[in-house]
Amino acid sequence: MGRFTDEELQRKVQEGFIVESEEDMTETYKRALITQLTVQGDTELISAPAYFMAARDAPSTNTMVSATAIIQDELGHANIAYRLLEDLGVDRHWLLYEREPAHFKHPYGFDQPLMNWAELVSANALYDRAGITLLGDVHRNTSYGPLKRGLVKVSMEENFHLRHGEVWIRRFAEAGGAAKEAVQRTLDWMFPMGVEWFGMPDDRKHHNAQLDFRLKGMTNDQLRRTWLKAVVPLCEELGYDLPAQYDPASDEVELTYELPCQYDPEARRWLYDETITWKQVFERWKARGPMNEQYVDSLRRSRFAVERLLAA
Amino acid sequence: MIRNGRVYEVFARKKRADRFEHVGAVSAPNEQLARVYAWQTYDEAKWFEMTVAPRDAFAAVNRPQAPFTLGAPAGRAAADSR
Repeated sequence: MGRFTDEELQRKVQEGFIVESEEDMTETYKRALITQLTVQGDTELISAPAYFMAARDAPSTNTMVSATAIIQDELGHANIAYRLLEDLGVDRHWLLYEREPAHFKHPYGFDQPLMNWAELVSANALYDRAGITLLGDVHRNTSYGPLKRGLVKVSMEENFHLRHGEVWIRRFAEAGGAAKEAVQRTLDWMFPMGVEWFGMPDDRKHHNAQLDFRLKGMTNDQLRRTWLKAVVPLCEELGYDLPAQYDPASDEVELTYELPCQYDPEARRWLYDETITWKQVFERWKARGPMNEQYVDSLRRSRFAVERLLAA
Repeated sequence: MIRNGRVYEVFARKKRADRFEHVGAVSAPNEQLARVYAWQTYDEAKWFEMTVAPRDAFAAVNRPQAPFTLGAPAGRAAADSR
């Protein structure tokens, strides 16, 4: 490190320079990259126990096999992000086994329980869509060469997860009745989670190292808008109600509720009437959600259970 | 930073005439597990051939460092930015 100043490196990456090793980085670049990769790895990792919880409700052997294939993909993606972090001097064993569960950096949405098949496929449709939106942007724009290469496989597989979700919420919609209602009830709490997935709005963030160093291309609001424009028209076509409206004339989506918004995780309900600040939302994210410890623990338990079995 | 084992680079190709492509890397305590991790992690295609080699087996030809060598471990403190 130390070849460039922050300003020099920012100018170079905006002109297309690709960083390949630590000697190309500045300390600020490296810190921003480590944060980005930690969020990415943790999100992939925690999706595995979340999806597994719901997959136990799979309606048949075939559907169970699809769900576990998705879980295996997600673990592979986590491994890719953590492997890149190892090259930046981060200890993977510490990342996986020694951090406080509350210090994981995945979105609040993956701290929630996923109870059944309708919730699993809704998560594939909404959260994996959020994943593709975020990582697709990183894949196209990142200035870090090793990550750009690592995302080839990830993008391919996330598209399969998304299709799995969208095909299934369509099947539920066509079935109607209680089946469709199960997805509707899920979307009621899950859709605003997806809106929050993209973080604080742009006007709350004064400075963004990930954009300055071209670790991503789009701002939080641009990413959120991309996601909304994919999710809302599809759900409307399938006859699901969302607190948002798509206007075909302007090709824009408007939320029909005010951000920020408070969530009651016990009741699994958004408190649309309560006025809160983004600071309070940030505090809710930081405090983590109801499944945080259990999900982290379930990943650790399996490893230590195997170690005990072999030591016996 | 690797506590036990080494980094193995993973190369694969889909069919006979193809070039070997660098598809990623795994960390593993030994070569047998590196082969398993590589096959399980990089399963995005039906590979005709996949191979792993330890990162430290690569020798730079025209640069001071082999391209995969991303510098010495700098400790884990930087990750704990929360």
